This record gives sequence, structure tokens and C-alpha cells, in this order.
Amino acid sequence: MSSVIGLLFGNDGSDILQGLTFQRSMAALPFAGRYRLLDFALSSMVNSGLRTIGLVTPPHNRAMLDHLGAGKDWFLDRKAGGLFILPGAMPELPDGGGTFRLKDLRLNVEYLQKDFAENVIISGCNHIFNMDYREALAFQEKQRADITLIVKKGPDVFQRGERDSLVLASDGGVIALRQEASQGEDASLGEEASPARPSEAYFIDMLIIRRRLLLEMIAEEGPEIPDLLTAIEAGLGRLRVFAFPFTGYFGTINSVEDYLARSMELLNPDVRKEVLTGQNRIHTKIVDNPPTKHGARAKVANSLISSGCTIEGEVYNSVLSRGVIVEPGAVVRNCVIMQKSSIAAGALLEYVILDKFVKVHAGKVLKGSRNAPFVALKGSLV
Amino acid sequence: MYQECIAMLLAGGRGSRLGALTRNIAKPAVSFCGKYRIIDFSLSNCANSNINTVGVLTQYKPFLLNMYIGLGAAWDLDNPHGGVHILPPFVGENEGNWYNGTANAVFQNLDFIDFYSPQYVLIISGDHIYKMNYLSMLDFHKEKGSDITISTIEVPWDEVSRFGTVSVNGEGRITKFTEKVPRPESNLASMGIYIFNWPVLRQALLADAHDLHSDNDFGKNVLPGQIELGKRVFAYKFKGYWRDVGTIESYYNANMELINGESGLDLFDPAQRIFSNEDILPPQYVGLSAQIEDSLVSNGCVVLGQVRHSILAPGAYVGEGAVVLDSILLPHARVHRQSLIKKAIVGEGAKIRSHCSVGLEAPSAAHPAGITVIGDHTVLEKGSVVPAGENFYAAR
Repeated sequence: MSSVIGLLFGNDGSDILQGLTFQRSMAALPFAGRYRLLDFALSSMVNSGLRTIGLVTPPHNRAMLDHLGAGKDWFLDRKAGGLFILPGAMPELPDGGGTFRLKDLRLNVEYLQKDFAENVIISGCNHIFNMDYREALAFQEKQRADITLIVKKGPDVFQRGERDSLVLASDGGVIALRQEASQGEDASLGEEASPARPSEAYFIDMLIIRRRLLLEMIAEEGPEIPDLLTAIEAGLGRLRVFAFPFTGYFGTINSVEDYLARSMELLNPDVRKEVLTGQNRIHTKIVDNPPTKHGARAKVANSLISSGCTIEGEVYNSVLSRGVIVEPGAVVRNCVIMQKSSIAAGALLEYVILDKFVKVHAGKVLKGSRNAPFVALKGSLV
Repeated sequence: MYQECIAMLLAGGRGSRLGALTRNIAKPAVSFCGKYRIIDFSLSNCANSNINTVGVLTQYKPFLLNMYIGLGAAWDLDNPHGGVHILPPFVGENEGNWYNGTANAVFQNLDFIDFYSPQYVLIISGDHIYKMNYLSMLDFHKEKGSDITISTIEVPWDEVSRFGTVSVNGEGRITKFTEKVPRPESNLASMGIYIFNWPVLRQALLADAHDLHSDNDFGKNVLPGQIELGKRVFAYKFKGYWRDVGTIESYYNANMELINGESGLDLFDPAQRIFSNEDILPPQYVGLSAQIEDSLVSNGCVVLGQVRHSILAPGAYVGEGAVVLDSILLPHARVHRQSLIKKAIVGEGAKIRSHCSVGLEAPSAAHPAGITVIGDHTVLEKGSVVPAGENFYAAR
């Protein structure tokens, strides 16, 4: 598997999560108790046998680098290969620009130049999935593809319109990245090409590309071709681009309510088995916490609880990170509570997301709703 | 490579008094208090005391223990100036044999200690539960101008016969060391933690090796002998939590003390953490109709039934309608639906299928203490009944 290296974009800036992504890239967002979002993409690569992985970091990268260290917990502290931190370019647009900006790669092009790998797996790290890339790599080789786009069959997880699904040929080749873009081209392709068919395949921010081709595309970076997807779109006529379907669980977070909903999905044993407890584990930074203490009057049901918590009150349908304290008489329902937050006696929380180190005072009542969860920012006193 | 003080960790004993728990695994590697293994405490103490060269003497069923220790990275002991070294018995041209007694084990590794050529050697064992800063003891050792310092703790008079005890004079110098006698003159027990000046240890071990009548044991032979020779041997008085978990009963009790939080051993204290080499497992899942009270539950557990006053190690499973009372489930132990478990230790990877009853029947004469042990990887078929106090394991 030395013929493939990884490239993760951890700098996809977004302000869709209210304060949860303040001074923290989405990739570094805590999720499922003990993990951060980037753990899913990073572990998928590691579990697929990759031992050289570059990570493009955002300007605010303290949280991310604190989490990663030298990559030891992902077995990436090594002599040959390992984890490479690739500082991204400063974003010119508030939303950071398109998917997989070539400018970020041009700044770090040596990472790609000095390796000998044939293929590069590129992935965003804002999504929840546990994928073994080996099948997709075999597919890339079998098709002698230049690029394999990983897709998910609809309905679209990103809630894009139908027009944003790929246009595929009958052999799985990609004709266009969007339905509308293909309209004009259909005629010009004439009868040589197999007829385009509407697909329900949506690109999910993961692809495999030949390393040399990627270097060529980086060299062409400019205002016309700011990001990799634009470059791929421009090359569709001459390149062998294929779509490979991913059939496992794929969770996306486009809003705070999504964040709560994806967290709640983990309470479903089937989802948990697919993402967390299957053959391939999600790795994360190890903090040696003691086991969680359930007190004499604690009541916990249908919840995921990380280590190092002290629970004396009641917790229902919730996800708790490490070191959370729930005092006697406090009630937590349908909430996500991040690391080391504490909920004092008699407080009542429903549909609440507490960022790290939040203190909820005794007797407080905080209520959000499924569609509009109440969010308390990091370190706040409520 | 000079080190002021290195540690020799005795981890080779068989631990036969732990019965089924040590049939396949060395005592120091036995799971403790959910996510820990017994040796975590000694290794973490070394790391927290800046003692970063540790020789681990192994002999009995060492594979799982060796694998667990690895390079010591989990305790931050993988460092360029020392690190953790596993020291199994070996043969050379004219020397080498199985380790025969604690002193003999260290004697056979004189070359190892010579390599680091320290000023002091700390001898500790891998089967005690405690938090201790060894540097405080070393300071005491230097201050007293000791040849040997023995760490001691006051124990209740009714338990004192289980321990080696020391008698001290006014300045804390030890006048007498007695190993496990029914009525000792003092209740100051040796904790099995010694600091030797390296030349003193070297000489003592050489002399002990030539004594054909010696059992080659620190407590029985070396320490009483050195006191008799007039060496300056002092007692360092340790205050705090310390437990020898060498028997099923003491192992069980030490676990249970940690649930109540009354033990004085604060696992949550960030200043003196106990590290462990943990598997990455997802957070525990507590099911819709689960009830957990007064318990410690680790990562990767799935609890669908009732758990009271118990400890669940990583990956343990309690099925629907199952009841686990006053028990310890070791890593990946599974208790399936409608089974009842009371005052039992369920071994690693053991499976108790549905509708079993463990530890509810009256205690047998053979095991009046009534702690039931189900050995590692044992499978209890559906509907099995295991009476209280039984030591049950799969024959291999």
C-alpha cells in the first residue's frame, strides 16, 4: 500500500455552526464523545493501510495540532512517511473558496513532489464515516482511471438539488459533475460516447487521483482554476474519471441541528456498529481518564458516555464527552455535552449543546428544540 | 549512560493465590478497577517520580504482560536515556537459570544495573495498588545517610501476620525485620519497596548467591541479613492508600473500595495520573431500560440490564434483563440476558450465556469468602448455575 498517500483538507472554514466553530475549524469539532470530526477521515486512511498522510490546516490550528500531536495515536509517528502538517493559505473569501483549493496545495507542493506514490487519496474531514479505501483503490487500478470520485447514491446527504448529482456514462465514467453542465455537451459527444443517464450519485468530498496528474493541476492553479474540482471539471473530456459508490454510513453536518441529529444517530446500534465498533476502529487522542462513575442515585438511559465522567443526576438520549459532571438532581435530555462541562444540582437541560468547559449553575433551565438547539459557547457560565 | 536511580520491578511471580485470574496471565497484567492493569500503578509512579529507567523482571506467562508494557510509551517511559526493559531469565556461557526468588532475579541482572551504573536502585513490585512519589523516599534515604531504606506503612494489628514487619528505634533505624510471622512486635509493615545504595545491593546479592541455605528472597534473607551485618537500614513511613492485591479477597476488596471513593486513592487527580495502555474503544452505551447505580463503567461497554455496585472494564457487555451486583467484569466479559451475577469476578473475554446464575447459591465450605471467580475466556452455557465462592475456569 506504499503506492498511495493521503491528503486531508482540514481547513474547510465554515460559520454554519454558530459559535461551535469559533476559533476551531470544523475538522476539530468534538463529536461522539471522545472524538473530533477529523478522526473519522484520518482513521479511515490509516485503517486502509496509508502511512503517509498530509493534513492541510486552517489559520486557527491550535485545537487541531493539540489533538494530533506527532500523530502517534494514529500510528503516524514514523521514520518513513508519517503525518505531515501542511499549513493552508489564508482564505480570501469568508467561506474559504471552493472544495480542495489548489492554492493550499501549491504552498505545500513539496509534500507531493518528494513522494513516490502512484495515487493520492484526497478527502475532506468534516464528515462522519468509516471507509476502507482499498476497494476504491482496486477500482481505480482496474478502470485504469486518472481520477476516481467517491460518491454516495441519493438522496443527497448535503441537501443539494438533484442538479448537483453527477452525470454518468453506462460504464461508470463521469461525464459531468452537475446535471446542467452536461446539457450542451451531450450533443457534441455525439454517438461515440455512451448515452448519459441521470444519476443519483453525489460526490462526497473524497477522491483518488494519480499523483502526477495532481501535480499538473496544481501547476495550472489561477483565478480561473481555483480549486481541484474546477480543474477536474475542465479536464473531463480528456481524463478517465470514474465514480465509485460508498455504501456505508455517511453523516454530514451542515447546521447546528444536523450536529445534534448526527449525534443522536449514534444511539442507534446499527450506526454505532458501522462507524465505531466494527472491524476498523476510529482512532483518537488518548487521554488516560478513569472509568466513568455512576453515583448511587444516577439514572442514565439510551446515552453514550465517555470516560472520566461523574454522573449523580439523570441523563437521557444524550452524548457526553470526557470528564463531564452531572450533579444530583440535574436532568439532561437530548443533549450533547462536550468535555469537562459541568451541570450543577437541579438544572434541567433539553436539546442543549454545551461546548467544552461550560458551567451550568444550579437550578438553571435551558431548553432548545430539535430544530433549534440551545448552544452554550466554550467556557461560558450559564 | 549514568542514571542517579533506576528501578527494578519484580513482575515474575506466579500469583497463584489469585486462582483462576492468573491461569493465563501474569499477576501484574491482571485487569484492575476497570481500565487499569495492576502494573499501571508502579509504572505510573515511576513516570510521575521522574524515574525513567525501569527493568521489569518477568518469568511467569510473560507474553500478555510484555505485550502490554511494550516500549513503555503508554507511561511516557519511552525515552532516550533509559526506558522500560523487559528482563526475562536467560542463559549465558556459564551462568543463567530460571529466577529463583526475588533476590536471585535481581542478582541475575547485575549486568543490566552495571550498564546504567546508578547510585541508587529502587526495588518495587508489580502487584501493589498505590500512588507514591519515590523521589520523596529517595530524599529521605539521602538525608538519613542510609544504606538501605524500606518503605513501610502501619497496618491493623489483626492483618499484620500477612506482612513482613520492621521494628524501629527512635531515629527510624530498623533494628529487626521479620517476614510474615503470627505475632510480630510491630505493626509497621514492609511495602516491598526498597532503595539500596548500589554498592550495598551488589555486595548483598553476591553474598546471598553464595549462601547455599538462602531462599534468595529480599524479605526472608537479604534484608534481615543486612540489618544483622549492621548496615544503616531505615524505615520510610508512607502515609496514604496502599494495597497488596495478592489474594482474590484483597483484589476484590481493593476494587470495591474504589467505587465508594472512600479509599483515598483519587484516580481523578490530574496532578498524579495513573496511565494505562488502553485500547481505543468508543464511549460506553447505556441502553433504554438500563439501570446503573454506584458503579464504575469504562469505554466500550454496552449496558442494557441492571448494574449495581460493580466495576465494568472496557468492552464489557450486560444484556437485557441481566443483573450484575457487587461484581467485577474484566475486559470484554459478556453477561447475556436474564443472567444474574452476584459478588463475582468475571474474567477477560468470559461469556456467561443467558439465564445463568452465578454466586447466588449458598457458599460452599471450600470458599467461605463467597467471591465467585469465572476464569478468562470461560464460557458458561445457557442456564448454568455456579454456586458462590466457586473458582470456575475452562480446562485447557
